[in-house]
Amino acid sequence: MFKGTMKFVIAAIACTFASQAFAQAQNCIELKTTGQVEKEVVNDKGEKTKVLAEAGKVVPGTEVVWTVTANNVCKQATDGVVMTNPVPEHMTLVTGSAIGPGSDITFSVDGKQFAPAGQLTVTENGATRPARAEEIRHIRWQLKSSLQPGASAMGRFRAVLN
Amino acid sequence: MVHFSRLLAVAGVFSLALASNQAHAVGAPAGTNIDNTAVVTYSVGTVTATTTSNPTTVTVAEILDVVVTLQTPNVPVVPGATQQEMLYRVTNAGNGPEAFLLTMTSAIGGDDFDPTAAAPSIYFDTDASGDLSPGDVPYVAGSNDPLLNADAFVGVLVVNDIPTSVGDGDRGRSSLTAAARTGTGTAGFEYAGAGVGGTVAVVGTTEGDGVATGEYLVSGISLDAAKSATVADQFGGTRPIPGARINYSIVVTATGSGSAISTLFSDAIPANTTYVPGTLTLNSVSLSDGTDADAGEFTTTPSARVRVQLGTLTTASGPQTIQFAVTIN
Repeated sequence: MFKGTMKFVIAAIACTFASQAFAQAQNCIELKTTGQVEKEVVNDKGEKTKVLAEAGKVVPGTEVVWTVTANNVCKQATDGVVMTNPVPEHMTLVTGSAIGPGSDITFSVDGKQFAPAGQLTVTENGATRPARAEEIRHIRWQLKSSLQPGASAMGRFRAVLN
Repeated sequence: MVHFSRLLAVAGVFSLALASNQAHAVGAPAGTNIDNTAVVTYSVGTVTATTTSNPTTVTVAEILDVVVTLQTPNVPVVPGATQQEMLYRVTNAGNGPEAFLLTMTSAIGGDDFDPTAAAPSIYFDTDASGDLSPGDVPYVAGSNDPLLNADAFVGVLVVNDIPTSVGDGDRGRSSLTAAARTGTGTAGFEYAGAGVGGTVAVVGTTEGDGVATGEYLVSGISLDAAKSATVADQFGGTRPIPGARINYSIVVTATGSGSAISTLFSDAIPANTTYVPGTLTLNSVSLSDGTDADAGEFTTTPSARVRVQLGTLTTASGPQTIQFAVTIN
């Protein structure tokens, strides 16, 4: 009886360790998204320049700059970092606008099959054709190397409000 | 009621003008919240983890756009004619519900005469007949401004009288303007909090108002139609009882100078009667009921009627006789 109880306690402790490790891993990357629009402003020199400002409210036809940032807040490196962002509802991806330093960027229509720009296809009525910009619903950034403690990775794309 | 549509200056197909000029509103409805959430997967040692980002929301603001299109390319009139209507379509090309102020003017340059605005001068084409009819409701600014959802449209009639002093071939213009009640201005101008759900309302590329101009053309030619009917009941008599057949005969005669181009004869099937298939004839030549190569058709849209394309008519054409039959329900 006594031995049995000990085993139970040990098992409970092991379980706590595992969940702590899991919780730490869960919190290793902070992921943030922003939606911004380009606004033209006049700088100190009287020149017109474009700055990004929080989108908030936008009218159809507006191009929104979406940015997703992954920040490693742990003391360990993270591997195999893959960020995925859907193209938001009512929006169309601007062709060639997706960027991400140090990432392989792929696109998807259905969220399952991903392919690099220009290689994504759609099968319609038995025929295969290149996917159109408005059919692309997901963007994926796959980091080529580990994300070191304190480091961050950024992915960005533009989409037009329909 | 027998109705003519004549395109005097431009030979064309009336129905084509009706089918075109569709305005397309922008897609996302005003007030829609668009959320964006990203997901990251990664591993720390042997533990794989998934983290979801904060949701970022953008709200679709209201865009103010309106398109006015002329539906009657040219309105043939005679000197001194009263209550002559032009049909327009006002379409909300924005992305939220909006009320529009309607105004008309006939003081427009580049024509030969100024039509005189009738009182009232703007009506809704309430019965969708395309004509000024007894059921059409007059427009009163500020009282029954049309409230249109995104993409919705309303038929509007502008009504003028034609001066008696005008001559054959004279042209007189009249226009209809629709302006968003929220406001107008240069494209991109913002009305804070005026949009759907308190969003900003932004003036669109149409600058929040639209205008279209139509033209009256004074024609020396006029068309007269004389309609007669005979009744034959199923018992060999002439009583107009249910089941009895009414044979209609309409004689169209052109009088005066000039020519009426693309004359379209249209006659509504009377209420409580049913068209007898295959009975439509022009000058005793049978016309098929379908919309096809020959000049005649029977259609049920928007309401049951027979239509015959009479082409170009002059006094030399002589009388044109159209016949068809109905049965009393």
